[in-house]
Amino acid sequence: MRSTPVDVKKPHPARRLLALLEGGSRWAAVGRVALSAACVLVVWQFVAMFVTNRLVLVPPADVARALLREIQNGDIWTNALATVTAVGTSFVVSVAVGIGIGLSLASSRALSLMTGPLLAAMNSVPIIALAPLFIAWLGLGFASKFVLVMLVAVFPVVVTTEAGLRATDKQLIEAANSFNATSLQVFTTVTFPFALPFIVSGIRVAWARALVGIVVAEFFGSFAGFGFAIMSASQTFDTARVLAYVFVLGVMGLTGTMAFETIERRLTPWRSE
Amino acid sequence: MSPAVRLQIENVSKTFWRAGKAPVEALRGIDLSIDEGEFVSIVGASGSGKSTLLRIIDGLLEPTAGQVYVDGGAVNRPGRDRAMVFQQDALLPWKTVIENVSYGLTLARVLKAQAHATAQRFINIAGLRGFEHHYPHQLSGGMRQRVNVARALAVDPKILLLDEPFAALDAQTREIMQSELLSIWQQTRKTVLLITHQIDEAVFLSDRVIVFSARPGCVREELRIELARPRTLELKRTPEFVGLVDRIWQLIEAEVRASLAEG
Repeated sequence: MRSTPVDVKKPHPARRLLALLEGGSRWAAVGRVALSAACVLVVWQFVAMFVTNRLVLVPPADVARALLREIQNGDIWTNALATVTAVGTSFVVSVAVGIGIGLSLASSRALSLMTGPLLAAMNSVPIIALAPLFIAWLGLGFASKFVLVMLVAVFPVVVTTEAGLRATDKQLIEAANSFNATSLQVFTTVTFPFALPFIVSGIRVAWARALVGIVVAEFFGSFAGFGFAIMSASQTFDTARVLAYVFVLGVMGLTGTMAFETIERRLTPWRSE
Repeated sequence: MSPAVRLQIENVSKTFWRAGKAPVEALRGIDLSIDEGEFVSIVGASGSGKSTLLRIIDGLLEPTAGQVYVDGGAVNRPGRDRAMVFQQDALLPWKTVIENVSYGLTLARVLKAQAHATAQRFINIAGLRGFEHHYPHQLSGGMRQRVNVARALAVDPKILLLDEPFAALDAQTREIMQSELLSIWQQTRKTVLLITHQIDEAVFLSDRVIVFSARPGCVREELRIELARPRTLELKRTPEFVGLVDRIWQLIEAEVRASLAEG
């Protein structure tokens, strides 16, 4: 019976590890990602030992080799340049346009009610399916990528901007008015700061959608880019190379998401406590 | 020589019209005048239009009829001669205490250094020294209300309007805040109009208590509170104090019961 008090003082190591992983520090976040990635790799490698058809499944080591080869022969940089320029510019423009549309919708009830159904319809239509149409209109290359990415990425920003601005605490607006604030001052000191974390969460979703948009756009019409590389690799049944590029896209998505999550948290310290 | 009239409310009425609903008459023919440096409270059952009157005085709402004057000048919009202390959570959560207290000054385009210097003075008066760089979520409810009071005082208003400022606080904190408000008032000598549903709070703080009737809100009775100042919390246990509270309670009891019955 002597062991009981010791047990109370020192929880099981597995439980302590769990508590550590649930923590809010940056290292806990990195630890979580590393652990889940490691689990996937182990399972993947294990399954690949039994599934030997290399068209269906390649082990992670082969993917890593393919990635290394792409880095060494420089193909990855050519593709990265094409993809990153297109998705980068289009994403930045989407965010700016999305915030602009969100602002105007929040400022006018009538406008919001009139365009609401249209936006909802456009948001639920698989715009990706229209990719061939855009390529027919705008040709192969930058313009069609730019428009397609924008059409998928702009909506989350529009929706969260409008929602954030409308959600602003009425008491805060009344307090500002009580100090005789101009409507511009109410916007800059109350509604916009209040909406900012909402907008950032919209931007986070937009980033993930932009990456999907760019790959699809590059599938259908381009001469360089990650989507193009994935398409050409799968046409030669080079699964390792396909997965190498998918991995790169995954890293881009994860980095963006984590960065925007951090910004969101920094903007709202009062939510976490 | 009697002190100058600071706030004059002349025949103010307010009716709210809402589409598809019967109009609500919130206030009818309110006449009230408050002297410079006077502390006046309005008590009344909920639905007596107290908050509406305060918003009309602050300039956030327009009266349907009548006019409010501050030092003889007509009031049509919010201005720096009046400052309002709201119930809770009217502080900007992303700004520190000193930034929140400077808020009214910043909106009036006072330079930052000067605004912070003024804010610091009222932070000290409100007993918030050492918390300048804390955020509202790091403070207790009582502390947040001190920030609210300091923010209103920082614009140096002639009239301080308090809208049930301690309603969201627990009973003990409320008592402490009441005596702190008195000491702040004694240091700044502002004209104060307080709205409250807490009768003992009104009697403890005020020179005069106005009892409102509900639906539509109008002045039912006016009591001068002749209790000596400075007042301490012990005053609340004296027979004079208890007698006054009881008298006011009897005036509004029927209406409180009526509003309860209406749900």
